Amino acid sequence: TLPLLSPPSRRPPPLASRPHFPARPRTLAKPAAAAAAMITGGQSYVSAPPAFSADGRFLLVCSGRSVSVFSTSTGMLVSELEGHEGDVTAVVVVPPQSSAAAAAKLATHCWTAGLDGFLIYWDFATAELVRKVKVDAPVHSMVIPNISKKLKVTEVYAPFAFVSVEALSNKAIQDKAKGKPVAKKKELWGQLRIYDLWKGCQVGSELAQTRKPEKIVVSCSGEFLGIANKRHLYIWSIPTKDFNHDNIRKIKLGHTKKLSTLAFHPSERIVAGGDATGRILIWRGFGKAKFSGTHCAKSQVDEERDGVRGKDDAGTCTTWHWHSSGVNFLKFSSDGAYLLSGGMEGVIVVWQLDTGKRRYKPRLGSPLLFFVDSPDSSISCVSCTNNQVHLLNMPNMEVLKTVSGIKMPIASGDLSRRDVCGFDSTNGLVAIPTQDYCIQFYNLFENTEVSEVQVCERNFQPVDDITMYISLVSLSIGGNLMCTVEVKLPEEELGGLVTLKFWNQGSRAGQFHLSTVIYEPHSDAGISAVAFHPGKNMAVSSSFGCNFKVWVQSLALQSSDGKSQSGWRCQSVGSYKKKPMTAAAFSGDGSVLAVAAESVITLWDPDNNALVGVIAEALSPITKLSFAGDSAYLMSLSQSSKPQVAVWNVSNLSMQWSYTLFAEAACCSSSKSEFAVLSLLSCPEGGAPAEQDGIILIFDAENSKPVSSWSVKKAKGGSIAFVKDGPSFDANTDDTRGGEASLLVYVNGSHEYVIFDPLKNEEPQISKSTRKNIQTDEPAPIGYASIYGELPKLELKKEVSDIPFIPSDRPWETIFTGSSHALPPLTKLCSVFLASLLEKRPVTDE
Amino acid sequence: MAADTSKPLFPAAPHASLLPSHGNANRLSPEAAYWRNFRSSTLDTGSTAFSVTHLAFSPARARPTLAAAWSSAVHLFAGDPLAPRPKVTVCKDAAAYSPSFRCDGALLAAGDGRGVVRVFRVDKPTAGPLRTLSAHAAQTRVVRYPEAGGDKVHLLTAGDDALLAYWDVPSETPVFTVPAAHRDYIRAGAPSPVDHNLFATGSYDQSVKLWDARTGKAPALTFSHGASVESVLFLPSGGLLATAGGTTVKIWDVIGGGRLVHSVESHVKTIFALALGKMGATGETRLLSAGSDGYVKCFDYGELKMTHSMRYPKELLSVACSPCGTVLVAGSSKGDIFVRRRKKNATEEEEEEVVGSEFAWTMPKPEKQALKPSYYRYFLRGQNEKAKEGDFVISRPKKAKFAEHDKLLRKFRHKDALVSALAKNNPRSVVAVMEELVARRKLVRCIGNLDVAELGLLLDFLHRNATLPRYARLLLGVANKVLEMRAEDIISEDGGKLRGCIRNLKRMVVEEIKIQHTLQEIQGMISPMLALSANRLE
Repeated sequence: TLPLLSPPSRRPPPLASRPHFPARPRTLAKPAAAAAAMITGGQSYVSAPPAFSADGRFLLVCSGRSVSVFSTSTGMLVSELEGHEGDVTAVVVVPPQSSAAAAAKLATHCWTAGLDGFLIYWDFATAELVRKVKVDAPVHSMVIPNISKKLKVTEVYAPFAFVSVEALSNKAIQDKAKGKPVAKKKELWGQLRIYDLWKGCQVGSELAQTRKPEKIVVSCSGEFLGIANKRHLYIWSIPTKDFNHDNIRKIKLGHTKKLSTLAFHPSERIVAGGDATGRILIWRGFGKAKFSGTHCAKSQVDEERDGVRGKDDAGTCTTWHWHSSGVNFLKFSSDGAYLLSGGMEGVIVVWQLDTGKRRYKPRLGSPLLFFVDSPDSSISCVSCTNNQVHLLNMPNMEVLKTVSGIKMPIASGDLSRRDVCGFDSTNGLVAIPTQDYCIQFYNLFENTEVSEVQVCERNFQPVDDITMYISLVSLSIGGNLMCTVEVKLPEEELGGLVTLKFWNQGSRAGQFHLSTVIYEPHSDAGISAVAFHPGKNMAVSSSFGCNFKVWVQSLALQSSDGKSQSGWRCQSVGSYKKKPMTAAAFSGDGSVLAVAAESVITLWDPDNNALVGVIAEALSPITKLSFAGDSAYLMSLSQSSKPQVAVWNVSNLSMQWSYTLFAEAACCSSSKSEFAVLSLLSCPEGGAPAEQDGIILIFDAENSKPVSSWSVKKAKGGSIAFVKDGPSFDANTDDTRGGEASLLVYVNGSHEYVIFDPLKNEEPQISKSTRKNIQTDEPAPIGYASIYGELPKLELKKEVSDIPFIPSDRPWETIFTGSSHALPPLTKLCSVFLASLLEKRPVTDE
Repeated sequence: MAADTSKPLFPAAPHASLLPSHGNANRLSPEAAYWRNFRSSTLDTGSTAFSVTHLAFSPARARPTLAAAWSSAVHLFAGDPLAPRPKVTVCKDAAAYSPSFRCDGALLAAGDGRGVVRVFRVDKPTAGPLRTLSAHAAQTRVVRYPEAGGDKVHLLTAGDDALLAYWDVPSETPVFTVPAAHRDYIRAGAPSPVDHNLFATGSYDQSVKLWDARTGKAPALTFSHGASVESVLFLPSGGLLATAGGTTVKIWDVIGGGRLVHSVESHVKTIFALALGKMGATGETRLLSAGSDGYVKCFDYGELKMTHSMRYPKELLSVACSPCGTVLVAGSSKGDIFVRRRKKNATEEEEEEVVGSEFAWTMPKPEKQALKPSYYRYFLRGQNEKAKEGDFVISRPKKAKFAEHDKLLRKFRHKDALVSALAKNNPRSVVAVMEELVARRKLVRCIGNLDVAELGLLLDFLHRNATLPRYARLLLGVANKVLEMRAEDIISEDGGKLRGCIRNLKRMVVEEIKIQHTLQEIQGMISPMLALSANRLE
């Protein structure tokens, strides 16, 4: 099975006049041996907390169904672990053991858990699957505390996994079988189980049942385990030596608000909990009564217990409040002096534990999700909701490297606002507006971020309602021009603003610099569409304010400082019967401009701004227009209550054919007369509308019969586009089309994408991007070399003995030239000195 | 170390459409900043019946001495600031013209309305003339000592009788005279700064002539300026000559045989005087021209462009700049002498004093004490050390400076940010803060929270800026909102200050409506014309 494409639902699509499907819509069930390749990408890197390898050189990130291993020094992808059939939800690096031999062996091993219900043991250095443990239920969280078991005489390391799974308890199942009505709210779907990983079986019964699977947190020593369940923290004390599942004790700590996260102090009995209102609670000395196992409960009663509720088993409880909304992560520093917290604000707050003083690491650009420390705590990483993982150099919290995935769609309550992205079909890039007012260029073939362009200079602010957003992105066919529209919503009719910006490409694809800014291009009215002329530097913007404007780039403009500037200016303005203009498109050769005035399509000569023709009305306002390649066929979409996909023949101004079909998106091939339509299937009952499945239909404009069809998942908010064969795409796809735009990209509602050849008959095979930048890294320097660098090779100086040294008769002339401490003792000198003063007389024997 | 790739803080800035299109007027060119730095004052001459025809500074640098020809006397001013000294009465019943200092500044020669030229001692101005040179039959407007070569004995005079005379002063006899040197009044003359034998004269017959005292009689060079020449001046190189006549200043290459190098039409009325101004800051020299349009224009003859212009309230007849460039004087036709004196900073003042006084009155500075580790300065030593060539410089990261409203915005103190911007009284930053507040959906709440004094500030700001076209779109809406929300507070306020603001606002609205009506009228008048011309084009 594929992440995105799947067999179509058995229910037929709700078409009033259904197109005739081919007998069997091609499904993408099993990869055929040698078939057209299919590229997937755009996974989320922040769905689960990442993990550092034991030596801190690698970062293991859960990305969709695989685990991507990144190098922390370069931030580049090193390898991928593929084996799960559901999304990976947890990755735990096995801590190295005390014995050196075991450490060397286990240093590159990790356990992963996925929604497919398997725990997998990997050697991530070689990307090899070692062992699989079946759980039978989707695993949402897993921890493996460092515990040992007495085996005969010696204590050995025994991996026990504590997993949080999504399953009904046996009792509930029995109740259901008996037909007892269980209130849906009361159903407990989350379970906490223990698995012995060596034996591969469950140990004991479940530890706890919760309404939904919760995230498990374990303390550094592995002694404590906790979850945040509604308004309580459940904490278990685990016997780390001589593990026995019967010997696990539990306490509860209560709070008045819903708790969202917790963290254990590395050395002391302190637990911190964050709640949904942004408060941080710190319980000191929790579980003194119960976990220590002695009978001091009575003396406890007399003690002062500040801020602890009811009969909770804790010494004191302090509350800190800085965050304005829910706390997403808490983490104690490795020395236990600081507590780090983060949330919606996109700021890491560093609390000094003793005083409650704060330091900040601001402007990370997006709400934060997870924070993970490397084992030696010199590097840490923080996951942001915009699909970025920042690697921080730890004491000073400087961003070293950033692993960025494709940007997530901006969540907004406003359903009328559509997710927009622009495609650069020549370079295989997609341009996605981000939450912090940038446009991200993402290479679809290599699954990497190319660049980010700051469209409007404004800081990210954690607000509930969006007041400013990029409403349109349009790229020219060559990809060298970009046009963005940003909208600032007014506050009670004050200060709203629509801005149209034209950008020119810089030195390489994905780099743009601002050319022209046009404020309020259509006075107050919003812009419905922007399209670029295929040949010239010309663009059209149509607005709901009943007119459209044709913009041209004037190259001869001289600015005051003598530099020639290329600014865009309005060449002409057109309108039709005072109707709002809802869509615009240029024909393949650029000679005709089609603008939809609500449900009427008007055809214009873009150079002379003359109305050429009017095509009869569609059923409802047209939201998208596109010419099918160079042909005279014009495709239109209506997405209102009366949806319609229609193809018009421009040469005789008549409708070719049409379907009543709700299309989420459509795109036309730039050269041939084929086009693709992404249409939504009807929503199954109970399913979230965002998860709606859809179908991609490929049509030839002349014929109403679809050429082929594909069924896809998460079609709501998705988009499609034709792209040209990337250079990295494998050589199997022989260039029968001569490098034309022949591949189709489907980006789904959560920005995962797949690239495939829509017309190939063989069943495609999934392939990740073939050219991976897998780099071989050099062994990292350790110890002295990691701090001071390599020592220079010492070369023993050769004794320079060229000048022959002749001791003179008068040694005091040379003896004092050296340093004073090297002088021979006075007693020796004296005799020499005195002897030299005396006149030598040849001694003759008498 | 890798640079931190997290984002910078973007300060609140208004979008570019709010910026004035002609660039930032606040940012002065260094040249303009230099000339703006002069403090202006006026020297009193007494009556407005006579004009200040000539101004001259003594070439002696030690003490600035200014001679101004006004009425029948030459007024002397000396010192810094210029203080009046006893005047030199040139002639009882005729106007004095063209004072000229000898190259050492000890003697002063001046012509008069009758054509007699007299030489006075500068240090004894009341003692009467030392020498009297009489050859001219009409007023002598040109009296010039040679500048270069330390020539102390000769003098050039020329007058309205078109006679040119070169004098040996001690003997009171002319070395040579040229009758009818020009065909009209000679009103301009200048000695060459490089050769004491060379002179240039300009006349109302539009011609400029170059004379060499060694050959005498015939002019070495003649060319025509194209208008009556009012002033000529050699530029410091001696190779270029500037002439002023009519509304143009022309620069000639005299070595190249009188080739016109450049012509500037900078004034709207006749230019009367040229002078050289030395810029104290850089030591560069500028050509100053004063005209009867009341402007002194500053011309950079190196770059051949106008760099600054200074406006004076009256029409100007003369201009001069002190040799060290600290004082710029201009004389008007109504007897005023406008002085602009450069503001000095402390260090320069000190320097000036040392130069200015002949005796050093200040005590020698005590020697610096050796630094001991018990001194605070011991630990600060070496901080001002400059990097040597080849040193590897690690620059300290620049600390970004943020305005107060930016800091407050960062702390989400929205109202305080708005008030701080209002107090700063910079419309751009106020509008920027308002836009940012709109983006945060906080503007309306901020307006609601303002107390009376702050509301007064806001209303005052709206009164001044709401109708500026750049800001009108936002601010008119804000003004409406304020009135809508805070009407009761304004009515119930005690002092009546807010009600005053509202009255102002009302007046502003009425004015604006009037302006809009006028504009519409103009549009109505223009549009048929435009339509006509468009038709014709077709």
